[in-house]
Amino acid sequence: MAIIEEPLALPPGVTTSTSKPLGVFSRPRNATGLKDWLTTVDHKKIGIMYGAAAMFFLVIGGVAALLIRTQLAVPNNELLSGDAYNRVYTMHGTVMVFLVVMPIGAAFANYLLPLQIGARDVAFPRINAFSFWVFLAGGLLLNTSWFLGGAPDGGWFNYAPNNGVIYSPSHGIDFWNVGLLIAGIGSVSGAVNLITTVLNMRAPGMTLFRMPIFVWMSLVTQFLLLFAVPVLTVAQVLLMLDRNFSANFFNVSQGADPLLWQHLFWVFGHPEVYLMILPAFGIVSEIIPTFSRKPIFGYSFMVFSGIAIGFLGFGVWAHHMFVSGIGPVSVSAFSFATMFIAVPTGVKILNWLGTMWGGKLTLNTAMLFAIGLVVQFTIGGLSGVSHAVAPSDTQQTDTYYIVAHFHYVLFGGAFFGFVGGLYFWWPKIFGYKLGEKFGKWNFWMMVVGFNTTFGPMHILGLQGMPRRMQTYDDDMGFNLWNMVATIGAFILGVGTLLVLVNAFFSYRKWKADGRPDVGPDPWDARSVEWMIQSPTPEHNFDTLPIVTDLDEFWHRKYAEDENHKLRRIATGAEIAQPGNGEGVHLPAPSYWPILLAFSIPIIGYGVIFSLWLTIPGVLLMTAASFGWALEPADDLDIPHDDHTEALTHG
Amino acid sequence: MTNNTADSTWHSSMRQTILTPMIASRRSLRIAVFVVFGLALSACSEDKPLNTFEPRGPRAQSVLDIMWPVIWGIIFVVFLIVCVGGVALAWKNRVKPEDFDPDDLPEQVHGWFKGEIAWTVAPAIILAFVGVYTIIGIWDLETKNEPAELDVMVIGRQWWWEYRYDVDGDGFFVDADGDGEIWGVDGLGADGPGGIDGDSDDIEWPLEYILDPDDVSTAGELVIPAGVQVDLYMTSADVIHSYWIPRLNGKRDAVPGRYTTWSVEADAPGKYTGWCTEFCGLSHARMRMSAIALSADDYQAWFENQQAPAAVPAEGTPEFAGRETFKNLCMSCHIIKDGDLEYNDTEAGDPWPTSVPLIAKGAPDLTHFATRTSFAGAIYAQYRDINPDDDALDVSTYLDLPGNYRWNEAELRRWIKNAPDRKDANYENQQGMLPFPQLQEEELDNLVAYLATLD
Repeated sequence: MAIIEEPLALPPGVTTSTSKPLGVFSRPRNATGLKDWLTTVDHKKIGIMYGAAAMFFLVIGGVAALLIRTQLAVPNNELLSGDAYNRVYTMHGTVMVFLVVMPIGAAFANYLLPLQIGARDVAFPRINAFSFWVFLAGGLLLNTSWFLGGAPDGGWFNYAPNNGVIYSPSHGIDFWNVGLLIAGIGSVSGAVNLITTVLNMRAPGMTLFRMPIFVWMSLVTQFLLLFAVPVLTVAQVLLMLDRNFSANFFNVSQGADPLLWQHLFWVFGHPEVYLMILPAFGIVSEIIPTFSRKPIFGYSFMVFSGIAIGFLGFGVWAHHMFVSGIGPVSVSAFSFATMFIAVPTGVKILNWLGTMWGGKLTLNTAMLFAIGLVVQFTIGGLSGVSHAVAPSDTQQTDTYYIVAHFHYVLFGGAFFGFVGGLYFWWPKIFGYKLGEKFGKWNFWMMVVGFNTTFGPMHILGLQGMPRRMQTYDDDMGFNLWNMVATIGAFILGVGTLLVLVNAFFSYRKWKADGRPDVGPDPWDARSVEWMIQSPTPEHNFDTLPIVTDLDEFWHRKYAEDENHKLRRIATGAEIAQPGNGEGVHLPAPSYWPILLAFSIPIIGYGVIFSLWLTIPGVLLMTAASFGWALEPADDLDIPHDDHTEALTHG
Repeated sequence: MTNNTADSTWHSSMRQTILTPMIASRRSLRIAVFVVFGLALSACSEDKPLNTFEPRGPRAQSVLDIMWPVIWGIIFVVFLIVCVGGVALAWKNRVKPEDFDPDDLPEQVHGWFKGEIAWTVAPAIILAFVGVYTIIGIWDLETKNEPAELDVMVIGRQWWWEYRYDVDGDGFFVDADGDGEIWGVDGLGADGPGGIDGDSDDIEWPLEYILDPDDVSTAGELVIPAGVQVDLYMTSADVIHSYWIPRLNGKRDAVPGRYTTWSVEADAPGKYTGWCTEFCGLSHARMRMSAIALSADDYQAWFENQQAPAAVPAEGTPEFAGRETFKNLCMSCHIIKDGDLEYNDTEAGDPWPTSVPLIAKGAPDLTHFATRTSFAGAIYAQYRDINPDDDALDVSTYLDLPGNYRWNEAELRRWIKNAPDRKDANYENQQGMLPFPQLQEEELDNLVAYLATLD
């Protein structure tokens, strides 16, 4: 539904000439293969590319994780030097947060939001493509640091003044800084796009309170991105001025206060952890009702608790700084605030249990991963309460107890939710199911590996093992659990890899079987994305669905019979749209988003290495911006005929 | 304690070189200093020296007293209900794929408003109670001695801790007139007498901290009297560090340009180990420390010993030659106060006090080096337990130690010769200790012999 791409209406009587514009400003046509992917503005392809990029970065972050665990398997190990260890653990955290978990959330949001609200695309399709390419450009720039003088060595939190040129003279932190600045542009533009999409492009009848929980959680996530990422951008611009232009924002000898960085970073950083987990909350809120065959328990509580988490998430940042010496008044206030963020989170967990209560559960792989999230996230949330208690946090912060805590939240929580989401929506995206047998192996290996890795870290932390340690001594009592954790990490690594292995083998089997149709609704699901064919047709909906209920699709399949007994009145396949896109108008692809996006890292390298390099970058950026602006709204040779449906509700 | 099995360098001539002066001149040593080594031994024999569940002081105990009810009373109970209950629920309600009947739907419950209100409000009330105790705990941890009993200044440096004791009671770093302002640590602000020249390209940061010539500066180990709350005034000379002796208290950051306060108290004499817990760059993993609590008498003896100037070896001895080497190579960074090694006086006309020894480039004060139990940021034991079966190497008869200890000479030699090999350093950037590949074996012998006299 390409309203934004429509030419403005002209007054009556005025005619337009449709002479062909200049060649370079015409839209790409009939693109196939690589060119299709590079120029696409289709939210589904962009979503898939977000996912694929995240998988690529997951391999990098995962190798870094295994290096860390191998180094720590035995005391006084010399596999990694102190310098190498610092770079590897910094990249592990940075890559996993910014280039794996965030883009996976973006992948699901991009693919699913338009489908779940009954739209044909996002509000600004070209900006959507730009958001992805600029994220990828930033991520790649960050990772070129491995080859260009060494990866960053300041930790993902990158505290001042250790992030200054004096203490970290190599270019690593410049790559961290510039790479994430660039990726942040993508986050913000993506957030604006998706917020607009959800608020303006819902199908007829889909009020806000008929939106699936996933849409709600993603909407809250986008607002968090919109307000949190610019704070990090501010901090990073200050750091860039310090490092690359000799400013003194964090130079203590010039009177700066290094805690400024911590405040800015965590004002971003705490909403950040919620924007990583909320999409996964949304995913399991779709999976659990589907496989419990019940509506989500307490829809409005689920929605409002998500919103509450979003708001409270901005008011608890200083709990990362309980031992920074911010004073007892601040510590008390943030300690209190932090405790109460457990309340809406607890509501969510209990409501998921409420959904399963009395349900008839299908324990397939997607559902197992969802339950895995509920259990493991709860453990992470509970250890979170123990360091909301600030005095107790003075013993726990910066120990492995914290490492255990946030991995239970982000890996056991967010990542398990994402994998569950992959199993759930895979048939919708690719047209075949991921194998269940492999899936069970996948799940159980990940559960065993995950808990063997991170469970012992609770013990290690309480026994006094600090984080970010290249090594430890033989006589500290850390040997046993470190070895256990390392063994667990390799099990977990193999378990995670099984997602990809499963995708590969399931595809081969599907192909060997002659590509059988998985059908529009393989799970007897509830929301409107399941009433279209699988894989999703390019135009999404033949006609936009008229929505009258939460769980619209389910209500079309089930109704009470004459005896007031609820029963199935139609299968999903019977009422699904046939996938006939005739007369549907879609936004045309464009060259400019990718060109504009990749002009920015050139400027980034210029800031790091030589300002001369910024000149070609700025030239390309200017050219791409003009190209974008002058590009015809559409390919004029393709007639606009029928999109009355799309225009009826605006 | 780090054990070195290979110790071929120890032979009788070295024993003469190192031990003879020690025996001759340092009877008083035993009183205070070597009590410490016995304690070090006992600390080493414990499995988990950093365990937060085994507090050895009232502060750590009070933290644990808040932790336990939260961990067992809330976390464990909720864990059992939610996690175990949730898994049981899922298992109980499962339907096998072959039993799936599309028309056999469970009751379509959309929610339970009262229940949801209940499980919103109930946790909030419980957490409010926890919150009240938490806030009481937060303020308790901030209380300091009134009036002051023993204040120690703690300065984090890459990658070791410096301690300053206000010996002469002039309130050099703690405000004497009681308005709460700390002073005496200069150079923290742009205008402080720290030697910064205002040029932003000047990378002479860390600024030098002027030490009161009458005061005591030590490194690595915080020596305190047992049973006394010791208030710490902390800052950093470079990046942010965090001071953590888990058995005595939680942690608190040492932030450059700011002061933070914290306190430790040990119930009984002993050695309590700790670790810098804020990532502080390259050798963060090797920035360790310990607190050594002594009985009141032992502490007093130690304290008096620390105030005495270091002995100057007789001319012509190997130790004297070692002192010359120290002057030539080490003194641009280290300090030994023996009444004679005056150096780094600020030039005449400089507004800052003259005749004040600076700790140049932030290396440890080595005045009473041999009284410490560890070196190199508390990563190596300075004395080590020898093989009890090897009578020939038993030095305990010389030193009257509580165990079979001797000078960890081999490790010290390796350290001096090539410190970055043992502890990563950006020494070009004044972070960490320089290597001294040019040192000849004899010079090393003499230097180590000299250091052994510094008790």
